Amino acid sequence: MNNTSATPTSQLSKTIWRIFLIIMGVAFIFSIFSYVKTVLLMLLIAWLISVILNPLVDYLESIGFNRALAILTIMAIILGGIIALIIGIIPTVIKAVESISATLKSDLISNLTIQLEQFFQEKFNNPDLARDLINKAEQIGGALLVEVAGFLKNAGTYVAFVGIVPIITFFLIKDRRLFKRALISQVPNRYFELFLNVLHKVDSQVTKYIQGQAIDALIVGLLSIIGLFIINLVFDNPVPYFFVIGMIAGVANLIPYLGPYVGAVPAIVLTILNNPDNVGYIIFWIIVVFVLVQLIDNNLVSPMVVSKSVNMHPITVVIAVIIGGNIAGIFGMLFAVPFWGIIKVTMREVSWGLRSYKLK
Amino acid sequence: MNHPLWDPISPKNKSEMSDIMQILAKMPIFSDLDSKELKEVEKIIYHRKYKKGEPIFRMGDPGLGMYIIINGAVEIVEEPENGTRTKLAELEKGAFFGDMALLDEKPRSASAIAMVDSDIIGFFRPDFLDLLYRKPRMGIKILWALSRVVGERLRKTDEQLTNLQREMKAKRHE
Repeated sequence: MNNTSATPTSQLSKTIWRIFLIIMGVAFIFSIFSYVKTVLLMLLIAWLISVILNPLVDYLESIGFNRALAILTIMAIILGGIIALIIGIIPTVIKAVESISATLKSDLISNLTIQLEQFFQEKFNNPDLARDLINKAEQIGGALLVEVAGFLKNAGTYVAFVGIVPIITFFLIKDRRLFKRALISQVPNRYFELFLNVLHKVDSQVTKYIQGQAIDALIVGLLSIIGLFIINLVFDNPVPYFFVIGMIAGVANLIPYLGPYVGAVPAIVLTILNNPDNVGYIIFWIIVVFVLVQLIDNNLVSPMVVSKSVNMHPITVVIAVIIGGNIAGIFGMLFAVPFWGIIKVTMREVSWGLRSYKLK
Repeated sequence: MNHPLWDPISPKNKSEMSDIMQILAKMPIFSDLDSKELKEVEKIIYHRKYKKGEPIFRMGDPGLGMYIIINGAVEIVEEPENGTRTKLAELEKGAFFGDMALLDEKPRSASAIAMVDSDIIGFFRPDFLDLLYRKPRMGIKILWALSRVVGERLRKTDEQLTNLQREMKAKRHE
């Protein structure tokens, strides 16, 4: 039976039916998005990690490792590093949180004391006194409960993240080719070579882009840590938590144009809070460190490791960051630009494929 | 039909075998691989079914890789934009074609169209390059065998060219 014998009416109804299904599909995805957001985020993070680790696994495989063993070896090394980092950083972070909360508590208590004194002086005989106090206590208790509940909820999510992301990552690396074959097996013969070729090109460019961004973030992070460490050596530790700030600067570097400020601002704010001698002079040197890091990054590191194929206009970057922030908060802001880069590469390669292949 | 580029290079003379692994083992470009290595190749090939008259690739499309006929038959035809359609070869079960595309992305020099319902497997350049990086010893064996195949085609082309020159000379002397 020849397919071309279908009447124009049946073709029109088929097209309308397809459009309807697409609209329903998009509406369905939007309606369930808030429920599956965490799972999607886990998948996205696992995929990004798998893309970054894949060349190392390939290298170990090339020198004779079994693929699964190669993945486990690399993951064990990374896990060891993270544990060492946590052991090194957690006490410092706890100390910081304790000192900040102690300051807050003392301020809060003193403010409350002053208010209570005024209250007792002015309205000692007011009958609403007891009710006001109870209301206040209820409000504070309620807020505390909400905070605890929020923490527990987030703690559950973090545990799920820490437990599930490495498992997904393991299988994404180990069965990478199987997933690709399963996907391609669904493509009709007519589009098979086009799809396969475009998929390989997108995969190759996106992999290079993500790996480049990861190496760039690592180098910027290390340079920032070294710069702030030198300031601490010279000026008697004016920048607290310089290691954490350096890491933030590295990760924030994923956002072009805006990232450097995300690194520099906490360093300056924490230095002001620390209130050392010559604070203005130290802030000047912090700015010098971040400007130098950016100069090195823009002129040496970035041109070598980051693909130029995903260059973006500053306005595009700002819009992508705002949309990413609205969709997935801070993660969305961080990954908006790389994600837009991936979309850009995909669109370009699909367009190349459609121009190059005869689809008749 | 006698075209050096599309003339099939005979598979190894082994007894009739049925499954994909055995067909792969008979292919000249996989002839140096042991069974463990052939299993690795099996993981990265694509098994496709084509209906009679369905194109596998079109002349001018970017080259992506080679195909092996498991069952059925394929015709190789030249389809110039505004010219006559010329059949260059008819390939049957066990033959392979498009192997030059394992080396670069140059446009296909002819179209491949299924003459009957056919089972075909594809082995593609990006997967081959990935294999070369991950399993260099195995990749070099395939590359070496591929060089032999290309060399054989070149020799055949040389022979035909020499014969043609001789014929032309003879005609000029007449």
